[in-house]
Amino acid sequence: MMWLVAGGALFAYAGMLGLCQGLERHYKHVWNHACPVALGKVLRGVGWLALLASLWLCAQAWGWAMGPVAWFAMLSLAGLLLVMLLPYWPRLAVGLVAALPLWGLLQWINCLAPG
Amino acid sequence: MKNSFTQSMAWLHTWAGLIFGWLLFAIFVTGTLAVFDKELNHWMQPEIPATPVSQAAAAHRAIAYLQAHEPQAGNWGVSLPTERSPGLRVSTGDRRHGGGVQLDPGTGEAIAVRDSVGGNFFFRFHFTLDLPRNWGIFVVGALALVMLAALVTGIVIHKKIFKEFFTFRPDKGQRSWLDFHNASAVLLLPFHLMITYTGLVIFMLIYIPAGVDALFAGDNRAYFQAQGNTRLEQPRGLSKQPAEMVDVAPLLAQAEARLGPIAGFNIRNPNTAGARIEIRPELGNRIALSKGQAMVFDGVSGQLLSDVSEWRAAPLTQRVMVGLHFAQFGGYPMRWLYFVCGVISCVMIASGLVLFCVKRGRKYAAAEVPGHRWYRLAEVCNVGFVAGLLLACVGLLWASRLLPVELAGRGAWEVRAFFGLWLLALLHAGIRPARQAWVEQLGLAALLCIGLVAFGGLDDGLRLAVAACALVLGVLLGLVAWRVQRAQPTARKVRSGRRVEVEA
Repeated sequence: MMWLVAGGALFAYAGMLGLCQGLERHYKHVWNHACPVALGKVLRGVGWLALLASLWLCAQAWGWAMGPVAWFAMLSLAGLLLVMLLPYWPRLAVGLVAALPLWGLLQWINCLAPG
Repeated sequence: MKNSFTQSMAWLHTWAGLIFGWLLFAIFVTGTLAVFDKELNHWMQPEIPATPVSQAAAAHRAIAYLQAHEPQAGNWGVSLPTERSPGLRVSTGDRRHGGGVQLDPGTGEAIAVRDSVGGNFFFRFHFTLDLPRNWGIFVVGALALVMLAALVTGIVIHKKIFKEFFTFRPDKGQRSWLDFHNASAVLLLPFHLMITYTGLVIFMLIYIPAGVDALFAGDNRAYFQAQGNTRLEQPRGLSKQPAEMVDVAPLLAQAEARLGPIAGFNIRNPNTAGARIEIRPELGNRIALSKGQAMVFDGVSGQLLSDVSEWRAAPLTQRVMVGLHFAQFGGYPMRWLYFVCGVISCVMIASGLVLFCVKRGRKYAAAEVPGHRWYRLAEVCNVGFVAGLLLACVGLLWASRLLPVELAGRGAWEVRAFFGLWLLALLHAGIRPARQAWVEQLGLAALLCIGLVAFGGLDDGLRLAVAACALVLGVLLGLVAWRVQRAQPTARKVRSGRRVEVEA
């Protein structure tokens, strides 16, 4: 359960980050140059997909009745965390998404271990 | 004067937010603390051991104790040890009227436990403000309506909801306060709306009794029975004949398989042929709040007499909404999500209150300006109702440990300590310059939070978690106090300095 919860939270953060970086002004704030139009679209698309992945993981952890409740809370909190980090440590705010592949790796090892 | 729709909405948001925000902050803080009410109960009663015991063993010990001490009672109530509340309590009255005896779940001996209001105080204050119950419910209901109005007017006057969705500009004084107020309100809008609306739904029959008045002549009990909450009739004759009772352990296992974790049970007419065993589930096995539900077994044969009732659509809807508010479902991860969301709500309200003063600071700061006195009143109330309430809350925890154990009416004294501290904080805010008052009260609250660790009990998982959480909150509060203090020299910097508070 804890793995699913952590995954849900990470995907929620990644999703919010994608939506945020898909916007001209926030992209420029982090990278100091304008965002290519195509990249912006990709970031927003991937962001929405990550949010859906988060919903799916929450539902796996809690079931489809409680899962969406937790999902909303995770979206809100992930968004606020991102908003608070961005002005102070913009690169860190983006870099946190690296926890996601790490989580994936650990999940993968977890899957292999018992078998 | 207020010539456009948006302007009148802004007027309403500002003034309703200020005047009612002080009490709304108190309601949100105590509600947030009440998420961990049982854990706080456990912390505030250090005599209760936390030995892991199976529920079946604890149930046997409870029944043995009641057999020895209360064989003639008409009703036995037993609260079993659970994940969140490791105590074992037995009583002979109705469960909700409190009382009862605390047993050591490991030995079944009665233990002397200090009288404490516990985390239940925060829960009760959250919906009554410690007023007489029905008065309190009406006042809090009215405040919830104001909160809804503030949310809706806030949405109307915040024109750039999506454009500034991810925007926070620190160190810019008033702009930063507004940014934070907006970001915390918008990003958590689902939570704010849900918690406020479902809060109103809990007491819908008290707030809008017309339907039950018209259809059931005002008889709430008749309404609930019509919705499927029927109670079994008690067998009168059989309850006079003595009889041997069935072992409760297999019944507990059967109920657990059906309902999930069990909170406790009642035995009506124990030791008679009419004995009934009612087994209650924990509240959090599903979203809908299952308060009042139980599986009923025959106390002699062990036969299942009635299963938990299925709700019809309307009561089920209400139960689900109430359950969403009570946050009993989904285990600890969900509880933490609710807690953190609650903390952000509190800070959102506090940032709005501070914003009111920051916005007017330059205009009214000088004593000779007309209106200065009102500005000063708002400032004093801000300190006293925000920092002062936090002081009072942590002060209650200190009182629960420091007051003499044998003091008569000890619980009432704890409550007096809470309100006494709050009053002192208001007076202190009245005689100190606002910034100094913020620093001193927030600093003291931080020290008191951190100091909770010194009361020990750290070998027990639940108490350790309470202490650790208090430590983290204390450090955050200390950080806020430090930022306010450090940013003192120029007025402009102070405002940005207090921004940390909003992160806390």
